Amino acid sequence: MSSMPSQSPLLNFLADHGSVADLDAEGWGLFLAEARACGVMARVAKILDQDYPALLSSHAPPRVKSHVLAAMRQSDNLANDVQRELKFLSSALADVGTPAVLLKGAAYCAAGLPAARGRIFSDIDLLVAPSFLPQAEAALMLGGWASGKQDDYDQRYYREWSHEIPPMTHLQRGTTIDLHHSLAMPTCRIRIDSPRMIEEAVALPGSGNWYRLKDEDMVLHAASHLLLNSEFDRGLRDLWDIDLLMRHFETTTPNFSYRVLARAEAVGLGQIARCAFSLCHRIFHTPLPPDALAGHSLLLWLLTSAATTRHPQTRPRTQGVADQLLFMRELALRLPAHLLVRHLWHKAFAGFKPKEKVPI
Amino acid sequence: MLRLKDVSDADFAHSLRCGNFRLHIGTFSLRIDSDVDALRMGLRQVYPHYPVSLSGGYYDFDLAIHPASLLRQWFRRNVVFSLSGQAPFLPMVVDHAHALFEWGLNWTIGSSVHQYLILHSAVVEKHGKGVMLSAASGSGKSTLTAELAMRGWRIFSDELALIDGAAPQLRLIPFPRPISLKNQSIDLVRRRYPEAQFGPLAHDTQKGTIAHLRVPDASVDRAIEMAPPSLIIFPKWTAGAPLRVQPVGAGQAAMRLIDQSFNYPVLGSLGFSRLADLAQSAPAWELEYSSLDDAVDALDDLLADDDA
Repeated sequence: MSSMPSQSPLLNFLADHGSVADLDAEGWGLFLAEARACGVMARVAKILDQDYPALLSSHAPPRVKSHVLAAMRQSDNLANDVQRELKFLSSALADVGTPAVLLKGAAYCAAGLPAARGRIFSDIDLLVAPSFLPQAEAALMLGGWASGKQDDYDQRYYREWSHEIPPMTHLQRGTTIDLHHSLAMPTCRIRIDSPRMIEEAVALPGSGNWYRLKDEDMVLHAASHLLLNSEFDRGLRDLWDIDLLMRHFETTTPNFSYRVLARAEAVGLGQIARCAFSLCHRIFHTPLPPDALAGHSLLLWLLTSAATTRHPQTRPRTQGVADQLLFMRELALRLPAHLLVRHLWHKAFAGFKPKEKVPI
Repeated sequence: MLRLKDVSDADFAHSLRCGNFRLHIGTFSLRIDSDVDALRMGLRQVYPHYPVSLSGGYYDFDLAIHPASLLRQWFRRNVVFSLSGQAPFLPMVVDHAHALFEWGLNWTIGSSVHQYLILHSAVVEKHGKGVMLSAASGSGKSTLTAELAMRGWRIFSDELALIDGAAPQLRLIPFPRPISLKNQSIDLVRRRYPEAQFGPLAHDTQKGTIAHLRVPDASVDRAIEMAPPSLIIFPKWTAGAPLRVQPVGAGQAAMRLIDQSFNYPVLGSLGFSRLADLAQSAPAWELEYSSLDDAVDALDDLLADDDA
């Protein structure tokens, strides 16, 4: 393999969907592989099928169409499952007496936003005010969701230092709920005015007592989730969410990007929002005013290397280093020094969770 | 058409290292990246007759087997499988590189090709009729498949039945690959067919010793010819048992196939209607046997009955 990464068909596509017309057969193979590596196959498939059908049937290698079909099946089915699961959840939570806020993928789905199109996700994220957390957890357990086996340390980590309780999985259906009580870790150095964002959440139309964050906060939550975390396996997908949200809300609210920035300053996410805008602008050519973007910084440079294509043939050579540095940044941001030392000490001896063993 | 057996080792190794190697299995093209000698040797042993390209081109999936991290590479001689650069499994010792590749490819197909209904089942064909052999592992499915392969039946797969999800008629899609045999089955096939050709032996895996039997060249040559499913067989090898061939109702057959499906939930209502069509159009039988000869005779009889 050459030392320089190849041209990325996926990045070209994200900047300009029509660019797939220039791909040769091998380029199509790489395009699909990159989309798979970044977890955006279904979204790419939806766009190709719905917006570029002629290109797909006349220009792409014939096999591409069947992969597009496969990915669309997966996402259509997921959309059905989510709707059904939300009904179950809604009846389980009916007696809790507080509105529940849907976050991320489930919220995009329930609100019918363009960001829901072809978005694959495995957990439903729910947010309730901290005072209602015990009731909500109990109601979910009665409804059949239970948290898996974590040791005492993990339980304590989640409950004292985290913004969510351990994931709960339904005993029969296997669906997973992440129940949040805050939008960011309470120990995080970047303080987010989470109660205010919950207070101003808006009701979703349709059945169930569902809410979603208001438009600006949806963008900010997506941005903070991406930039305060260190898991960039799905970074490009999450960034794409922000691009799609921005493009959509610009059509419904004039000067939406400035409203997001104003809100960001008010809730403590000014820098995060500007960084997210810069990344979106760079990769998706999201229409954003120049004065809404972040200036150059080491952080932005690291994020540019991490929240991009993850395919070994096209990813930046600096990605490994950037991932490591961002991981350290996340820990430093999330946990005050004395907690950080304790956490790393524990994890060093408890061992990191291995991946799946090959059953042969 | 260039076949792997016609490629020099230097060219093979070079194309594997440069990302230009393509292995064509039926309608699928695989890009394989590797600098691991053990994998190259393994592929040579079991895929000699398969069409390949050494100069790149379109691929459906890009699979790689590479040494794991430096430490693991030096101290444990570990290799890791990845699909599009993402590694879903723990590393394994380098001697298992080929077994790891076969497993990784099964996983890739089982988790991605939702254009098909995917069932955990061997598929063989004779006289244009597809026969599905559906059973959990340990029931002798692969041994029976190997026996049929050695007797000239066409092999679609020893592991994955692919059923077209869109075509109006039910069609089984061939994806012929080396047949994975375990422990005593390896010796059994060797005793019955001394000419049988195997890939590298992987000792001490979780399932014991594993080896892959090369499929007959004719199965490779005809790998794009589909077949309608004509019989569903639930085979079960039991030591010393007399031959027992017993019909299974369509409803029950469908339920048992759902149990053995990789992507039934992903396909939603389409999966249901395909399975219902399948169970209604192909008669299902339970086949318990202790002698492979009896089992093959029984399959021949069932196929002949299907003609009548």
